[in-house]
Amino acid sequence: MADTLTIAPPRKEAPLVTGNLGISEITQLVSYHTEKKPPSTWYLAFAISSTLLAMLMVMIGYLFWNGVGVWGNNNPVGWGWPIVNFVFWVGIGHAGTLISAILFLFRQRWRTAINRSAEAMTLFAVICALLFPTIHVGRVWVIYWTLPLPNQMEMWPQFKSPLLWDVFAVSVYFTVSLVFWYVGLIPDLGTLRDRARTAIRRKVTAFFALGWTGANRHWRNYEKTYLLLAALATPLVLSVHSVVSFDFAVSIVPGWHTTIFPPYFVAGAIFSGFAMVMTLLIIARKVYGIRNIITLDHLEKMAIIILVTGTMVGFAYITEFFIAWYSQVEYEQYAFLNRTTGPYAWAYWTMMSCNLLFPQFFWIKRLRRSIPFLFVTSIVVNVGMWFERFVITVISLHRDFLPSSWDYFNPTLVDVLTLVGSFGLFLTLFLIFLRFLPMVAMAEVKMVLPEADPHHYEEHEN
Amino acid sequence: MAQKLQSSPILVKLLDTVEPTQSSALAAYRWTGSVRAFLIPALLGLSALAVSIAVGFAGFKEQFYFSYLVGWSFCLSLALGALFVVLIKHLTKASWVVALRRIPEALAASFPLLALLAIPIIISLFDDHGLYHHWSTDGISDPASSHYDEIVAGKAAYLNKPFFLIRVGFYFIVWTLVSSKLWSLSLRQDLTADPGIPAKQRKVSGWGLPLVAVTTAFGSFDLLMSLDPHWFSTIFGVYFFSGAFMAAFAFIALVCMFLQRGGMLQGIVTKEHYHDLGKLMFAFVVFWAYIAFSQYMLYWYGGIPEETVWFKHRLEHGWETHSAILLIAHFILPFLLLLPRSVKRVAPLLGIMAVWLLVMQWFDHHWLAMPVLHYEEATLHWLDLSCWIGLTAVFVSAFVWRLSRHALVPQGDPRLAASLRFENT
Repeated sequence: MADTLTIAPPRKEAPLVTGNLGISEITQLVSYHTEKKPPSTWYLAFAISSTLLAMLMVMIGYLFWNGVGVWGNNNPVGWGWPIVNFVFWVGIGHAGTLISAILFLFRQRWRTAINRSAEAMTLFAVICALLFPTIHVGRVWVIYWTLPLPNQMEMWPQFKSPLLWDVFAVSVYFTVSLVFWYVGLIPDLGTLRDRARTAIRRKVTAFFALGWTGANRHWRNYEKTYLLLAALATPLVLSVHSVVSFDFAVSIVPGWHTTIFPPYFVAGAIFSGFAMVMTLLIIARKVYGIRNIITLDHLEKMAIIILVTGTMVGFAYITEFFIAWYSQVEYEQYAFLNRTTGPYAWAYWTMMSCNLLFPQFFWIKRLRRSIPFLFVTSIVVNVGMWFERFVITVISLHRDFLPSSWDYFNPTLVDVLTLVGSFGLFLTLFLIFLRFLPMVAMAEVKMVLPEADPHHYEEHEN
Repeated sequence: MAQKLQSSPILVKLLDTVEPTQSSALAAYRWTGSVRAFLIPALLGLSALAVSIAVGFAGFKEQFYFSYLVGWSFCLSLALGALFVVLIKHLTKASWVVALRRIPEALAASFPLLALLAIPIIISLFDDHGLYHHWSTDGISDPASSHYDEIVAGKAAYLNKPFFLIRVGFYFIVWTLVSSKLWSLSLRQDLTADPGIPAKQRKVSGWGLPLVAVTTAFGSFDLLMSLDPHWFSTIFGVYFFSGAFMAAFAFIALVCMFLQRGGMLQGIVTKEHYHDLGKLMFAFVVFWAYIAFSQYMLYWYGGIPEETVWFKHRLEHGWETHSAILLIAHFILPFLLLLPRSVKRVAPLLGIMAVWLLVMQWFDHHWLAMPVLHYEEATLHWLDLSCWIGLTAVFVSAFVWRLSRHALVPQGDPRLAASLRFENT
């Protein structure tokens, strides 16, 4: 009946997987990278990233031995790079769960090609994020005091502090993202087990596949679980970065205390998360030859999300600026004047051009489909988002209410090497993931093939 | 009488910019309702408005202005919410919503009418006891004047009568331009089924969405936030949007139900579409709560008097009851009631929730505006209801009349077949 009720011919959607790949070819294309020796590029990348990781460890050791004074944090800039890096990494850790939860609820079938690696990236970014407040506390050996553990000293964390809410928000987010990621992995682990050639590989994959056989009942339970987890993870995508924004916005520091912060931080997080996914996948799809699964169409869709979220963030900057003037509060007005014309104006304008202006190039379809341009923009966006957190944290603090204590913040070498080292941690974990686990959710990609439609063979008899 | 209406060109252009196209609609998509569907609300609305204006203007001028603004901004929020639905639909190439797309399109074509209905608000701007007198009174920015206000004087470059009128005029031009372009493209698609039209709709939506978003935010600053010109909140535009978007979905669901009760859209709008509308209503109930909480919590926690005073007015002298009702009936209860799948799939239940949320949307705007006038005592004036009912009835009547002149479904859309077959899996 449906077709007789329209006067236009129904639209045929472009296939999500190109190159005419069939079901077994997808399995082979993805699984085989976990089974063979990795390409030499992988070894090179691993050598570099693990060196950076080792450097991070040295920096952390040096910090623990000497104390927080090895950083550039001063008075009044009590929150320097570590907090900037924390917010930066948490932000990056937003794309994965957005892709796997919110885009799932919105029935965006294209997400299947990128969700696995984006979620893995999310977990690793959250690990990097958690590192920074942990090493920032000064006496790291009592970090468990951030947890409300009953103790004979009757000593409890400050429940009124958003820093404590962060502990809960980020750890809940990490746990749920991990469970979500693992549940999605189960059918693929079953595939790896069935393909395993050595006893030890079979044993390990079988253990993690939880006895998956692909039975009808297994699929039914799996899909229910996936839907419920998506529904539970959706509010988390919004809540985590909202709570991170509370760290700033509940205080009365000019430039921090503004109500747009929660949704604006969430938009910025999605913006930077998608940029990071794009950076990693542009390389991975080439090195691993999966350009038929992660196609140019996928990258173009991500570019559109970057354009939308970048423009939202830019709109928030402008709203903040306007309301700072409109409020007629002289401290707010000064905070914004200081951002645009003060000693850190270079940072503010870097942020503005990277986050608001640069993504506007994505209005042009040719640029949304140009791999070199996408790659450059994805990096520019993350530079911009790092500077956004720098602008918020440092510019607001360096000239506080007492002009006599105004100071300029300079990072130390330890600051720089710790940030660079955190990329080592992130990339090492990501490379290990690429080596041992299927980087594409095979079972889910197969579900969006045209053959997966129950009516497919009625229409294409051959 | 309906024929007579059709022949009055100015009124027609104001209510619907496009010539009637219903003769080319497929039989299943024709409007088959009676003229009573728009004549009764028109009569009801016009008489309620006439009474409100006659009695209100004579006896309760200040009250009338505020009551009128609340009713008007309720209608404006529905039209803007519907415009966002259409814009986002085109940009995301969503197919499920195509079968009911004509409803938000027709709703978004209301801006010329809303501009006409804004006349009392414009009049109040020039009244010393008007809506915006806190910033528009003469002498407020004059240091020599007895009621000089330093803060408002600082904002005078923005909050002044000519610039206010220019801005609001600009917002209406943007909204009318974007919505009427989308409306006429969609109706042309009915006639020609031109396969190039979806790309044009996406193009208009592409530049339209950022423009509409910015004008909506600044519109909410100007029309509602500046009632209390000392107060400011960067999230206010998002707050306005969240309620508007929620109300638009509730209104769309309700219109589908009425059309189906009248024997139209049979087998076209199904349980599956209601289910999705219900999910979106649920999602934006939660989103509204998230935004409202962010605004409240951050100001409460900061505890700066110039920021908290706005909430203080809404938490004393009886307004605390209104605030509590908002928390319970705009979030907690609809959250729980919209959770079960059955509520979203059974039309009467979803209909109750849709009416509920529309009432709460009005109540929310009442809560935003009215404490500025009655900070010393919470009120619910009969003019609040008569203005709301009057404006909404006129607004709905024009909307139904617009619907009746065209196919009820965008029959030329290439994604319609997918929408008709749509199932939640």
